Amino acid sequence: MNEAPVVRRVRAFFAPVDRVAGVGTVWDPATGFNVDAPPAPWLDLGWCNGFTRKSGTKIEALVAGAPGVAVGQVRTAVEAEVHLEFDHWGKLQMALSAGSQQMNVLAGKTGVAANGSGGVAVGAVVLVAGSTASALNVGAAAGFLVGDLVVVDADYSGQLGFVGSGVSGGYVRAALSDVDYVRRVSLNVGRVATVANGVLGLEAPLLAGAPATGMKVSKVVGFCDREGGGFFQEWSGLFVMDGEQRGRVVVHYPRLQTMSGAAEAREGLVGATVKTAMERWRLAGSFRALPVKDASDGETVVCFRSYLPG
Amino acid sequence: MNLQNFKDAFYVALRGRVAAGNAARTSVVRGVVRPGVIAVENELPGGAADGVAPVDAFCLRWTGLRTESAGLVATTCEIRYATDGLQSGAGMNRGRALAAMDDELRAALNGAPQWTELAPGGARVFWSEIAFGHVVMRSERMERTATVEVFGYE
Repeated sequence: MNEAPVVRRVRAFFAPVDRVAGVGTVWDPATGFNVDAPPAPWLDLGWCNGFTRKSGTKIEALVAGAPGVAVGQVRTAVEAEVHLEFDHWGKLQMALSAGSQQMNVLAGKTGVAANGSGGVAVGAVVLVAGSTASALNVGAAAGFLVGDLVVVDADYSGQLGFVGSGVSGGYVRAALSDVDYVRRVSLNVGRVATVANGVLGLEAPLLAGAPATGMKVSKVVGFCDREGGGFFQEWSGLFVMDGEQRGRVVVHYPRLQTMSGAAEAREGLVGATVKTAMERWRLAGSFRALPVKDASDGETVVCFRSYLPG
Repeated sequence: MNLQNFKDAFYVALRGRVAAGNAARTSVVRGVVRPGVIAVENELPGGAADGVAPVDAFCLRWTGLRTESAGLVATTCEIRYATDGLQSGAGMNRGRALAAMDDELRAALNGAPQWTELAPGGARVFWSEIAFGHVVMRSERMERTATVEVFGYE
């Protein structure tokens, strides 16, 4: 028997869900988890605040006889929700908490009609053979600079259904005319760390790995999300709480879907003596857990909580 | 966990971390050069009545003691430090000297991990984020008291 864990902070990790098959990334507690070097495909979302989880599972009594006596119980619904605030703003954190598609604002052409999520973009740059997940061979004249954000994905050419490499960033119901649409919603985004001999070195490998043939690079000037839209982001979530006395609690949701629109949680900055109106804005998200089957016994569940004693 | 072991473990951890961050942070106590972290209660009575002598060293004093639920013990450790600045700057760098000590203490206590082990693989002592008090001026000497809550299981 161990003391109740004393936990300082909660660290969140992301992995993609295969949206077509409805299959999330499963973490096996027997394999452990290095929070400082998460195993692929898990990605660090950073610390989060206000992490709360709520069981919506309904358990009702089976009543028999007169007068009625509870003779058993039955689960009439299985449901769980997660609420959290991200300590950092980034593409992934924004996408997960946006509630719908999270758009990359592509560098636009001059003189085109204004649009709320970005107008017609400048032409994407074709990738030359030899590109990898962290080195994009774009040729010497591409014009990218160190510090630029870039998105790497395929042209839109009439695809229907889920689009976006690595992680589905949107769902197309009817054919669109924007050749850059996939790159607008893609989560396959990186920041240029080096530029040398026509090769862009990225700060971190692309989420989708080495670019596939035909993918192009567009410069991203920012990110935009919308209230409304017809898409639900879905991800596999892992929340790690390390106890100060070594015990570790891991809460794993193989499938989490956003259940709220874009929102922020505001926290006033605490000055030593002077009251300030400044506030820190954290991305806030609420998520509903979707079911998976446990291979051990075929039970339908939405969440796994593991305790790994120190 | 013995309470004295608990206090000693924190002191040793802080002393090691301060020395790792700035090996030049030393103090001469009774003729011996030591890392500049001093547990006041372990020194000669009267030698540090105000808790901040000598200057340019971190002086620890244990104040609060509480027992939380399930055998969790919480103690309050005040870390007082003062500086007159460096002689090389004729004291005109005392603000910078105090800021340097603030940084050293922050790095030592707010850096991960915020725990230490009584013995390898043994029980841990862990602590809160550090809270810095206001600067107090005593003539031209600048002093500050920082506070940290230190926890462990009985």
